Amino acid sequence: MPEDSDWEAYKVPPTRTPVSERTTWVPNPVTFFQTVFNYVVDAPVTFVREWIERQQSKNKFYYYHQKFRRVPDLSECLEGDYLCFFEAEAQWRRDRMVDQEIVEIVRERLGACKQREGPNQFQNCAKEVELLAQVTKAYQDRYGDLGVHGNARTCLMKQKHRMMEERKAQANASQ
Amino acid sequence: MAAMSLLLRAAAAWGARRAASGAAGGLRFPWLAGAARLPGTVAPVRHSSGHGKRMFIIKATSFYDTRFLNLLRFYIFLTGIPVALFITYVNIFIGESELAEIPEGYIPDYWEYYKHPISRWIARYFLDPPEKNYEKQMALLDIEAKKTEMRLMELEARRLMRHRGDGPWYHYETPDKNLIDNSMKSTPDN
Repeated sequence: MPEDSDWEAYKVPPTRTPVSERTTWVPNPVTFFQTVFNYVVDAPVTFVREWIERQQSKNKFYYYHQKFRRVPDLSECLEGDYLCFFEAEAQWRRDRMVDQEIVEIVRERLGACKQREGPNQFQNCAKEVELLAQVTKAYQDRYGDLGVHGNARTCLMKQKHRMMEERKAQANASQ
Repeated sequence: MAAMSLLLRAAAAWGARRAASGAAGGLRFPWLAGAARLPGTVAPVRHSSGHGKRMFIIKATSFYDTRFLNLLRFYIFLTGIPVALFITYVNIFIGESELAEIPEGYIPDYWEYYKHPISRWIARYFLDPPEKNYEKQMALLDIEAKKTEMRLMELEARRLMRHRGDGPWYHYETPDKNLIDNSMKSTPDN
């Protein structure tokens, strides 16, 4: 699964540990363990990792995310034009995958927010909760009950039914 | 060790005394006389110090099992170790690629969309570009669509020609009218 590229959403506020002044002459054992860890584990591992990265930086190469051209939608295809149907179907499947990933990312952000805030989550994560509710509702409206055999055509029919319901509701409301 | 040998000798002596007393009554009940005893503790044998008497332990053979496991390990490692070394070499010295934005005016080749160098190599030299696959699918669809259209048109043409009778199909050969024998209708009294 691709990682979320917006790290700003996950930023943890700086810790507010107070600086305490020493009241005993007994040295802090934590610094001893920190130096031991530093020499025994941290330094060799960092050295090996940096050596590996030096080897790898001699020949760098890149990979890209593929950008697909937009093709005419299923609603713009003529009847009997099976090639147009095929391309519209492929585009619809790609869009559905993108939407699934969007929902997943928003869910992960909410989880990160809860983890970060701890007991304050109910107040401080309200925006993320609202965003997740909206995104999930939108996904459910568009792709919701199509089932495992759902394709672009069934989705279009569902959209048509939604528009009909909307029009009926408007007509009822204006009466 | 010395205590152990003393204990064994004492046990052997006790066992011998029991066996001697039970020998008279053992004729009728041979299985009661010598109760369950370890095969090494009845007869006082001079043992080599420390190791104990050499036993012939009777158990089921493990020859086939060990042979199978040895062969399994051998054949798995025969190709497994070179493959593991190769993959380690690739991961350390070549490394995975980095994600970058597509530069302006540059169209990446189809293998440049993969991260790991071995995946890129396989995609480049063994697999077809996904565009080719897409076009092949579209070509098949096109052929089948044209076949469907042709068949529908043929059915329609057949139906119309049969109905109207003015087309080149549905002509049936009839015999020549000069061959008809009218002699039975030639006189009014037949």
